[in-house]
Amino acid sequence: MSVKAERRAADMAPQPGRDRPSALRASSVLLASHDTEGSRAAERAALDAVVPGGRLHHLVIVPEFWRSITGDGWRINASTEHAFCDYLEAQIEREILEHLNRVNAQARARGIHYSASSEHGRLADCVVAASEKADYDLVMIGAPRPKGEPGLRSRLDLDRLTRALRIPLVVVPHPGASRKRSR
Amino acid sequence: MVYTKRHIAVLIMGLALLALGYCTELGLLDDVIKYLGTSRSKPAMITLPYTFGAIGVVIGLWQLIGLHRPGGLDYINSALGGALFILFVAMLIRWFLDPLVAVWSRAVGPVFGGKYIHDVFGLNYIVLGIVAGILLVNTVGIPSWAQNGVRLSRLGLKTGVVLLGTLYFLQEILHLGTASFTLIGIFVLGSVGLVLWMGRLMTVSNSMGGVLSAGVGVCGVSAAVAAAPVVQAKSAEIAYTIGTILLWGVGCMFVFPTVGKLLHMSPEAFGAWAGTGILNSAQVAGAALAFQPDGIETLKVAEIFNITRILFLPLIVVWLAVWYVRRETAVNGAAQAQSVGAMAVSAPRVSVGRVIVDKFPLFVLGFIFMFLLNLTGVFLPKGVSANDLWKGQYFDNNLKADRLLKDKDVDALRAVADKAKRSDHKAALERLIANKKVMSVSDYHALDGLSASGALSKEAKAVVSGARRSVMHTPKIVGWFRDWIVWLFAFGLTGLGMQITIASLKQAGGQPLVIGGVVGTIKAVGSLIVVIVFAGLLGLSTL
Repeated sequence: MSVKAERRAADMAPQPGRDRPSALRASSVLLASHDTEGSRAAERAALDAVVPGGRLHHLVIVPEFWRSITGDGWRINASTEHAFCDYLEAQIEREILEHLNRVNAQARARGIHYSASSEHGRLADCVVAASEKADYDLVMIGAPRPKGEPGLRSRLDLDRLTRALRIPLVVVPHPGASRKRSR
Repeated sequence: MVYTKRHIAVLIMGLALLALGYCTELGLLDDVIKYLGTSRSKPAMITLPYTFGAIGVVIGLWQLIGLHRPGGLDYINSALGGALFILFVAMLIRWFLDPLVAVWSRAVGPVFGGKYIHDVFGLNYIVLGIVAGILLVNTVGIPSWAQNGVRLSRLGLKTGVVLLGTLYFLQEILHLGTASFTLIGIFVLGSVGLVLWMGRLMTVSNSMGGVLSAGVGVCGVSAAVAAAPVVQAKSAEIAYTIGTILLWGVGCMFVFPTVGKLLHMSPEAFGAWAGTGILNSAQVAGAALAFQPDGIETLKVAEIFNITRILFLPLIVVWLAVWYVRRETAVNGAAQAQSVGAMAVSAPRVSVGRVIVDKFPLFVLGFIFMFLLNLTGVFLPKGVSANDLWKGQYFDNNLKADRLLKDKDVDALRAVADKAKRSDHKAALERLIANKKVMSVSDYHALDGLSASGALSKEAKAVVSGARRSVMHTPKIVGWFRDWIVWLFAFGLTGLGMQITIASLKQAGGQPLVIGGVVGTIKAVGSLIVVIVFAGLLGLSTL
């Protein structure tokens, strides 16, 4: 496994309040994101990090909590429940496709080979499994959102992920964190 | 795909149940039963474990050694393990954990107004079952071999409601139906409207407002699930709404019985309040059984309100569909006027008839069918006609000698015999004294009037009441249904607990939580005030 990430000393200097150019360069990146503000930051960082002609694999994970989303609702007919499950599946699929198409367009514009897949299950386990399917240089994910930021609560178990991963992991800061600091 | 898992767990559960039944029969658990004060449950602790233990052994062996092929039979087979798992947990809770909590609670002593902790907080087998289910799924998780069967809990609850139909009598349905349609009409329509209004005020999307209003206004998760496709809710909106409703429902299940007991509400008043004020229908049943674990009166009232609520669901879905189409058309129309060529979100076409047929809950038809069947007198013993039914019971004064009035009872009645003013009261009392039992249905009613007239002493009133009770009987099969209803609800609610995950609850948040919290509180407090203040007007007893 070859890690081609090179750090640029100039870019490493912290410049509060400004977007920094990517400090990383890699030819093959696994990006795990699911269209939240934090993961969109990870997407930007991943697109910056992959060299032109390089490869970006986008993994979208449908969190486990959807499995039990009908909770204790029992009054409806089975047909209504089936209709709901079909609708929900189609809706999630539609949202994922919109998301992937957007990132795909950005990747193409930069001359990056883009591929995508989606998995359902524990976030950390899915990332680890995907990281072992190809020869990636690094994995990129977004940081958990700061307290008070809106969004679904399905946190990736970083401890579980870092213990199991065999390639470097980059956690991109959530934009909300710098907003909080600037406040 | 073959769903049945070759796992030894079902066989082990079956053997464990057989062992439980055998140990109880041999008397090995007598000390435990005595300590827990559950000797009345002993016969059930033998027959039920034997029955379901045998079923478990057969299914367990079949799952282990049978040839399983894809198909309906395989799916049913795969679900049986989970069903047995829920039942096993429910039995352990009902016979051991529930009485143990009561023993501990009594050992602590009275805490609130002379009441014990378990009484105040309604810690009985129903609440403990739901809590155990929630704990199980969120800690060790539901084993893979049981996952298909856990969803059978819904069937258990629906069957429970269908059988519940046999416990109502016509006057009761008419009386409760009027009160429930009035209360539910006001609070369902009011809270749906309030959520839509607040949503507009807080500029939440139409789809978010639509799915939240159904959930908060009608019957919780079921309504949200029914409305989501109609208002084209986004996935995050569905998660927020269901999280909010689940969180609210679980809280209500503990708060409502506690408040009801502190306010000394009657089963009827509490059932009406819980049936109106609690968002989630499962928690309505949970709260009703938590309020009155040793009787079914609260559940009966609460379920009538609950069923009335579910009857509003198709209408609300139609309302939301029409509302959504209009709002989206208005929004898109305005957007298109501003920007030619703007992408319009297509609102769905609404077929009112289709929505009503699709969303009408079929199990309510089962409930109505069983209610009507009971009215025909089909469950009555031979020789008794439907005309003899009175409030779900029938008159039969063929009593054994030990059920007749004792001499001291007769003396107590003789002492007040001259107090009866009306001739029919007097004649009925004389016949009661002469025969030591109530002689006819008309005497039964006359003695009721005599009791209510205030002419009797406290002692005589108790004697008359006992004599009246001894000649009215619940049909044997209906009594059997009553026992099974409690088990079906215990089974269903324990299984539903196993489907409430913290991950789903955690999705509660943002504007939906604010709107849901405000409207839910208004609904709960408002319905409590209405039930207490207008109980007389609604024909509900408060004591």
